[in-house]
Amino acid sequence: MAVSFSLRSSVLRRALSGAFYLHSQTPGAPAAATGLRCVSNAAPEQRKAAIIESTEEYRFVERLIPPSRIPAPPKHVGVTPSGWSPPADSPPPLPYMIRRSRMHNVPVYTDVTNGSRKLTLVRKVEGDIWALEKDVKQHLKEVTGEELPTQVNEVTMTLKVKGHFEKELKDWLVSKGF
Amino acid sequence: MLRFSFMVCGRGAAKRFASSFSGESTLPPNLLLPTNLVDPARLKRPPPPADCSLPVLRKCDAVIPAHLSPLQTWVETLEKQDSEPLGLTQLHPDVFAAPPRLDILYDVETWQRNFKRISYANTKVRSEVRGGGRKPWNQKGSGRARHGSIRSPIWRGGGVAHGPRGPNSYYYMLPMKVRVQGLKVALSSKMAQEYLHIVDSLNIPTPDSQYLLDLIRHRHWGESLLIVDVGEEFPENILQATANLKTVNIIPAIGLNVHSMLKHEAVVLTLETVKFLEDKLLWHDQRYTPLYPFKLPYSDFP
Repeated sequence: MAVSFSLRSSVLRRALSGAFYLHSQTPGAPAAATGLRCVSNAAPEQRKAAIIESTEEYRFVERLIPPSRIPAPPKHVGVTPSGWSPPADSPPPLPYMIRRSRMHNVPVYTDVTNGSRKLTLVRKVEGDIWALEKDVKQHLKEVTGEELPTQVNEVTMTLKVKGHFEKELKDWLVSKGF
Repeated sequence: MLRFSFMVCGRGAAKRFASSFSGESTLPPNLLLPTNLVDPARLKRPPPPADCSLPVLRKCDAVIPAHLSPLQTWVETLEKQDSEPLGLTQLHPDVFAAPPRLDILYDVETWQRNFKRISYANTKVRSEVRGGGRKPWNQKGSGRARHGSIRSPIWRGGGVAHGPRGPNSYYYMLPMKVRVQGLKVALSSKMAQEYLHIVDSLNIPTPDSQYLLDLIRHRHWGESLLIVDVGEEFPENILQATANLKTVNIIPAIGLNVHSMLKHEAVVLTLETVKFLEDKLLWHDQRYTPLYPFKLPYSDFP
């Protein structure tokens, strides 16, 4: 039935192609002029099919939604090519502990205030912060040769050292295993 | 007038005067003891020892840092007034043993008071007060001081020069992480002062308010209690019991806030509440900065 219908429409189109110049632009027009409805060549059963809802394809949207948690870094042994090194598996046996930041970096930061005041800040300290201050002062004396003024804030558990010593303190803390 | 004030002041003076002569040490009648004095009756149950035989009902789901160990507390029940604890539970140290940052507690408490405040105080300025458009008398010749309008601030009935120009909003937002840390510090403070109690569920045998009051009095929990549970549905009995009580209040876990925790002396959490709070509060320690507001969907939002 479908085959005969499409055959009839194609035969009609070829018959009217010479008569109407606009055949190529409006193939439906000659069929409409002859009184036949030829909206599509599909069979009438398919035009009345039910709408199917599918949520299977939503996985393509779901895999685009970003995560909110920072992932744990993959297992490395030693220093990575970028210079990052993982913390030790077990915390070092010292009276203080320095946690990593949320991006798994050592929490030592430099600051410049009033244009010329240089500070190094060690954050996220837990435990005996005065022992950390003593060790930091002793290590920087070995490295630089001078006694540097430091400030301990017991409420926020941070340590400030005068001067820029980010690299030295980071290497020292990583060597300790923090 | 003076005789009346002498009578009023002298009424209690005789009683107070007499107590200084009594042999035994009677407490003066107008003595107000602070509520946070350590009551020896409250120190009856020490924290669970390491070799306790009761089962551990709940372990921490989140990863605990290697240098910290989980806290252990009793899990009690509200079914009977004088029942023994059912078991133990582990609590995450970052939530329930955070360092006691009183400055953060103060900041969060003042924020909670002030960010909702809109002061509606408003006064009229000299231009808004009715009248006062015309110069009251000539500049020169009348012998009086020179004035331009009868509603200037130096005149009686005139406008206010620097008064409140409301409505005025005191809205500000503390950083999200500060508010989260405030919750952790408040929970840790309650834990450290032994005012935090974990309960398996909120089922009580009767909807009677007196039962709850007797239970609190018997267990020496304190004079006010805050009950926290996860979910929208609560057991009917406890809702009816707390409905008419002023000092015992029940809130869902999303409504937990520093002001309520400081206002109530003791806090009761269920095991599901502990899980919910640990999930939500620890997520902030390992989350990215928001790419778009957290109200919109993320793939692993807690």
